[in-house]
Amino acid sequence: MAKDIYIGEVAANEEIQIDYFLMKVTLPSDFTEPLPGQFVMIRIAGLHDPFLSRPISIYSYTRGKSNCAIELLYRVVGKGTQILAGLIKGSQVEISGPLGGSYSIDHQKKNIVFIAGGIGIAPLSLLAEALCRKASYSAAAMTFYLGAQTADAVVGLNRLRKLCYNLTVCTDDGSLGQKALVTKAFQKDIKKYSPSDTVIYACGPKAMVQSLSKILDGKYLCQVSLEERMACGVGACVGCVVAVKDGQGKPAYKRVCADGPVFDLQQIIWE
Amino acid sequence: MSVEIGGLKLKNPVMTASGTFGYGEEYADYVDLNQLGAIVVKGLSLKPRLGNPPPRIMETAGGMLNAVGLQNVGVDVFIKEKLPFLRQYDVAVIANIYGESTLEYSQVAKKLSQAEGVHALEVNVSCPNVKKGGLSFGSDPKAAAEVTRRVKAETHLPVIVKLTPNVTDIAAIAQSVEEAGADAVSLINTLTGMAIDLKTRTPHLKNITGGLSGPAIKPVALRMVWQVAQRVAIPVIGIGGIMTVEDALEFMIAGAKAVQIGTANFINPHATIEIIDGIRHYLQNNKIKNINDIVGTLRT
Ligand SMILES: Cc1cc2nc3c(=O)[nH]c(=O)nc-3n(C[C@H](O)[C@H](O)[C@H](O)COP(=O)(O)O)c2cc1C
Ligand code: FES
Repeated sequence: MAKDIYIGEVAANEEIQIDYFLMKVTLPSDFTEPLPGQFVMIRIAGLHDPFLSRPISIYSYTRGKSNCAIELLYRVVGKGTQILAGLIKGSQVEISGPLGGSYSIDHQKKNIVFIAGGIGIAPLSLLAEALCRKASYSAAAMTFYLGAQTADAVVGLNRLRKLCYNLTVCTDDGSLGQKALVTKAFQKDIKKYSPSDTVIYACGPKAMVQSLSKILDGKYLCQVSLEERMACGVGACVGCVVAVKDGQGKPAYKRVCADGPVFDLQQIIWE
Repeated sequence: MSVEIGGLKLKNPVMTASGTFGYGEEYADYVDLNQLGAIVVKGLSLKPRLGNPPPRIMETAGGMLNAVGLQNVGVDVFIKEKLPFLRQYDVAVIANIYGESTLEYSQVAKKLSQAEGVHALEVNVSCPNVKKGGLSFGSDPKAAAEVTRRVKAETHLPVIVKLTPNVTDIAAIAQSVEEAGADAVSLINTLTGMAIDLKTRTPHLKNITGGLSGPAIKPVALRMVWQVAQRVAIPVIGIGGIMTVEDALEFMIAGAKAVQIGTANFINPHATIEIIDGIRHYLQNNKIKNINDIVGTLRT
């Protein structure tokens, strides 16, 4: 599972919805196959403004004859992502990775439930694929709850439909699917999933994860992928921490990049 | 390429800066650690430290702010769990130490001096993030000298004192720790700064202020290295915003016998190796046999 920096070439960089981009990057074949939940740090070679690289989770991985490719799904939120959005086919990017830990796919539970907010769909899509392929879960055993503010912010739906048949889409304004928060839509169904038979995988904004934590109330096995500002991405600067309960239940700051980005939801301490 | 710092011989003058290279293992996939002049590990205190609440970092123009608050595993866990990894490599290990009292400094120094595989101590009298400690030692010549004496009394290892730039006369502090027995000084640590979120009118860092690092601080660091090098006889280690071999050479010409690479590791994990290779090429191209021949050769 070695990691390094690689020069990647942008093979495609498309605005799939307003402000949402899908970038495909071709990489040398020695780039290690990423696990679901892992991310890369990306920057434009030689450019020092913005200064830091940006962490983006890996949405897909494909291996070709002489190289490989990853896809990154991102939303333009600031200077860094704006510059990424302007890259054209053939541009070079520096990719460091694959970084961080992954969702664990060997829980052997009957029900798999995914809860994603916005582009939180990216790592969960890769995970759903891995569960189909490696852990041989059928598409029918997996249920996906996907939420976003509006229909414009729902991305990755078509690809997901092939992986998961049970798919509930919600938007805050009802412009697509149910008019509800994704956590509320899940809560309505919660009786269908007994805690001992279920594993929940989540990724989304803090408010979504926090509300999920309240709903699950520590009763379910739930793995969640977190986001934080990062500098190094490899665990060296200790800048990207989240407060968690350690082995003895005492508070500790863990590095999202190296100890995460996937954590057990129960471990997280909310302010 | 080799240089000597207070009796410690280094393969080359390029080290990693404390707090930017973890305990070495974090970058072992990217860098052949054997090639480094030295690894300076994350600052160690007597007991593990929780550190500051997040957010701890913020990007700024040409640099970043950090308020990690010296989160670290503590000296005992370092010796037991982190040092064995570093001992596998043929590289000098410099332990950066931190204390909230002169007693804590001397206790940490003592423990590390007894451990196998620590080759020098770097005493952080300068971290601006922890309210009670660092700043007061590093900004007062007497307190800085006192810490130096206490650490020297506990160790046979070379002692490097790392200075803070958040003072009016850094050369005075350097002279004071030299008189107290320091074997070398390293500078600079981060410059205290802040950044504000306009939307919420709140500071970007939970700690409100943080330490600025990266290329933004290089001119200040260079000036301070030059000033200090003129006033002390002990080796000076240059730190601050070094991204490229050209930056490193500037520091050496200003008077630094060695350099440390900090924030550059985050931007380019191969930075240290590229700088070492770059220095080698520079020496070859300019037919300079000994790296020490360029140290302090600034023409004014
Ligand atoms: C995230 C971070 C953590 C740091 N932690 C320490 C530390 O524990 N002890 C210390 O003496 N200096 C620490 N420093 C300061 C650096 O070692 C260095 O002096 C400073 O960053 C300037 O160099 P640079 O611009 O090359 O990064 C830290 C710097 C950063 C960015
Ligand atoms: S970003 Fe540096 S430790 Fe996570």
